[in-house]
Amino acid sequence: MARHEYQRELDRLRADVCSMSDLVLERYEDALEVYETGNRSLSESVIDGDHEVNERYLDLEGDCIELLALQQPVAGDLRFVASSFKIVTDLERIGDLATNLAGYGAAETTTLLAPEGVVELGERAGSMVADAVDAYEVEDADMTWEIAARDDDLDQACREASERVVRQLLADDPSTLSGTEIEARLADVSRTLLTIRDIERVGDHAVNICARTLYMAENDDGLIY
Amino acid sequence: MSSNMTDTPDETLIETGFEVEADRTHEQTDTEAILQSENLSVNYGDEQALDDVTIEIPENRVTAIIGPSGCGKSTFLRSINRMNDRIRSCAVDGELYFHGKNVYDDDVDPVALRRKIGQVFQAPNPFPKSIYDNVAYGLRIQGRDDEVDLDEAVERALRGAALWDEVSHQLDSSGLDLSGGQQQRLCIARAIATDPEVLLMDEPTSALDPVAASKIEDLIDELVEKYTVVIVTHNMQQAARISDKTAVFLTGGELVEYDDTATVFENPADSRVEDYITGKFG
Repeated sequence: MARHEYQRELDRLRADVCSMSDLVLERYEDALEVYETGNRSLSESVIDGDHEVNERYLDLEGDCIELLALQQPVAGDLRFVASSFKIVTDLERIGDLATNLAGYGAAETTTLLAPEGVVELGERAGSMVADAVDAYEVEDADMTWEIAARDDDLDQACREASERVVRQLLADDPSTLSGTEIEARLADVSRTLLTIRDIERVGDHAVNICARTLYMAENDDGLIY
Repeated sequence: MSSNMTDTPDETLIETGFEVEADRTHEQTDTEAILQSENLSVNYGDEQALDDVTIEIPENRVTAIIGPSGCGKSTFLRSINRMNDRIRSCAVDGELYFHGKNVYDDDVDPVALRRKIGQVFQAPNPFPKSIYDNVAYGLRIQGRDDEVDLDEAVERALRGAALWDEVSHQLDSSGLDLSGGQQQRLCIARAIATDPEVLLMDEPTSALDPVAASKIEDLIDELVEKYTVVIVTHNMQQAARISDKTAVFLTGGELVEYDDTATVFENPADSRVEDYITGKFG
């Protein structure tokens, strides 16, 4: 009977991690919408809603610790709990990055890079997270390798986007701009580069989730670095 | 069936009953194993307790034997020092080598064997004698009766069992007056007093509270510097904590998996082992 309850707790942990992922991805997609539309109330909603993500994270962390302390899992169960423990940290960080994006998006719209370009990058990173959590849910090792490979493309795309921003900045003739315009321009550059960097980090967290999932499924640490 | 080592049996071993210190380097060069079973099967009448077990147990390591009740763990342990000889219905087939010498060869003296392969049992079983006499018992049987020699050996054994500081002032007290954990350490002192090479432990902490059990676990960690420890335990966390190698037996006396402890508990190769150690029985 006690072992049945233990199995139910493991099943519940998996479902709860997937549910936390749904919440984080919802916030992240809202943040991308903010970036595209400048919707300030949606931005506030994403930023204010981060505490809910944090609470979920702490609850799940507590669940993992309780399972380790009371059930002392071993073998596949141990890898599952240890991986879940790590994955919820990645999800929480993605939630933080979503609040960053919502904050950048609510500021002045960039003139350096078309918002839809940023959003397209963001969507690629978001789909990697969604797929990574799908792989976690069904313990699909092949999928983890495929998602990790997509991160190389995302990194390259982010590098190119950053270079475009810097080139445009270099193309500016400061003598034609007022002091206020220069300040605005620098703030825009900074914000746009930070946005691209955060999107690239979302992709990294997706790879982390894949790495832990691969370890969980096959005891393979090939993606952990 | 015989190994290379048994092709050239150690004459010293046969003559003097396993006093082979001088030749151990040779054995360790060939293999790190101090104990090896090859196709070992044990039956109690019609009941098969061990089924074709082949395993190598490394020297100066802790090897844990785990598995459900009735899987042959204790039978395997008793096979090592021929304690099964005392069971009339017991039939042993296959080989069990200690330093390359099959302990079931006709020329092996089981008493001499048990001097080299000591055993500690589930429940502490000190003799109804003084602490001193408990430890000196085996030494006196060996014919060592010089008082100074005995005093030194008793102190050494009690220190080795991490009991000296607690009992040095009461060596004449009865061993039965000690706490359960102290009694078990006294039994370990008694087992190591005769200077064995291997210590077999059959659930040595199952009758002890967690604090006393923890002291025994710490002691095992120290003992392994001098001795090879083979421990049967039902406590899988204990096996995971203290052993270097873990052997998993399942019903029918089958050795299902034997590997580094970390591998067995993190990524067992056999799904039946995974089911057993995670508590899912098929």
